[in-house]
Amino acid sequence: MRFSDETLMAYADGELDAASRREIDAAIAAEPDIARRVNLHKFLRARISTEFEPVLNEPVPTRLVVAARKTAKPVWPQWGALAASFLLGALLWQVSGRFFRSEPIISRNGEVVASGVLATALSGQLASDQTAKSPVQLGVSFRSKAGDYCRTFQLRDASGAAGIACHDTNQWQVLALVHDAAGSAAQPEYRQAASALPPAVLQTVSDTIAGEPLGAAEEERARAQHWNASK
Amino acid sequence: MSSTTGDLGDAIVQLLPRLRRFARSLAGNTQDGDDLVQIAIERALRNSAQLRPDAQLSSWMFGILRNAWIDEFRGRGRRNRLFVAAEYGEQVADPASNLQADMLSVQEAMMRLPVDQREVVSLVLVEGLSYKEAAEIVNVPVGTVTSRLARGRETLQSLLTGSSGERP
Repeated sequence: MRFSDETLMAYADGELDAASRREIDAAIAAEPDIARRVNLHKFLRARISTEFEPVLNEPVPTRLVVAARKTAKPVWPQWGALAASFLLGALLWQVSGRFFRSEPIISRNGEVVASGVLATALSGQLASDQTAKSPVQLGVSFRSKAGDYCRTFQLRDASGAAGIACHDTNQWQVLALVHDAAGSAAQPEYRQAASALPPAVLQTVSDTIAGEPLGAAEEERARAQHWNASK
Repeated sequence: MSSTTGDLGDAIVQLLPRLRRFARSLAGNTQDGDDLVQIAIERALRNSAQLRPDAQLSSWMFGILRNAWIDEFRGRGRRNRLFVAAEYGEQVADPASNLQADMLSVQEAMMRLPVDQREVVSLVLVEGLSYKEAAEIVNVPVGTVTSRLARGRETLQSLLTGSSGERP
């Protein structure tokens, strides 16, 4: 045995210097057994690497993106293909134009939080008692994995913005926001509660939710506790 | 790194697919792997001052994730949990498959490796790092990485083919 298995492994991994490599190149050409042993290492390496390669193409869970961005900057999930339609600046500008006195979504201390009609609806309105005329339509309420109460919402203004807000001590932090341009401006009165949530919002719900959405009675209890979760 | 924490967060977001892959190969399933990534992110942001200006962010993050795995998972004995994820379980249980009965999936075989072998297999074979980079992350000499990797491979070879690894 001229070469140890470790040496052949290092060769297969591209770890040897040029001189050793040439030596083994020559041995491979001359001795089928050396070639076979090197190939075993190469095959195994390829097999392990191939097995985990698909992880790179999986969508990254929102909670991890949120964790990485949990800095002075606004918490902002990554939407992949939807990123192009996901323009906070434009949306804030547009929304604030509509609600000059009380913008529904504002930036406060670097965090994006609900305000005005949106904050009022998130705190006080139950999915069961809202009407088609309510300026904010609430969809599902649920507990997040972090233990906070979160609710999905849709604004019945021209922006048609939809998103998720989670209650954080004394404010509603907007966790996800999608500007739904799909015809909402034309006929906002036809929008149904929770029926038209964009897929990205639904995806964030499924990434964020712990357990099942709240039922009507649980939602009412949560409101009675001012959405302060007992963790 | 002269950047703000916001920039660090952005850079970590870019690394997330690789961090998830590395964590998956260590932890053996998606849920535990992603928990591990989250712990690593939180530690990294808390200790961002320790990132030296000349250091490579990926190596630094891999190191934090690896240490988190040692602490969180090994400490709690979670590595010993017999785990077969649905996607792997299906493959194992598939009666139509002509695989040898004692042949394991790659993921299962990885979970049978001792911790010190699994981490170098993950760094070198899954993440494609050099022996030197792996040695720095695990904090052992390159020769130790080489011998652990050789032993890990030998075990994997026999678990994956159902035969005992051939010896030269």
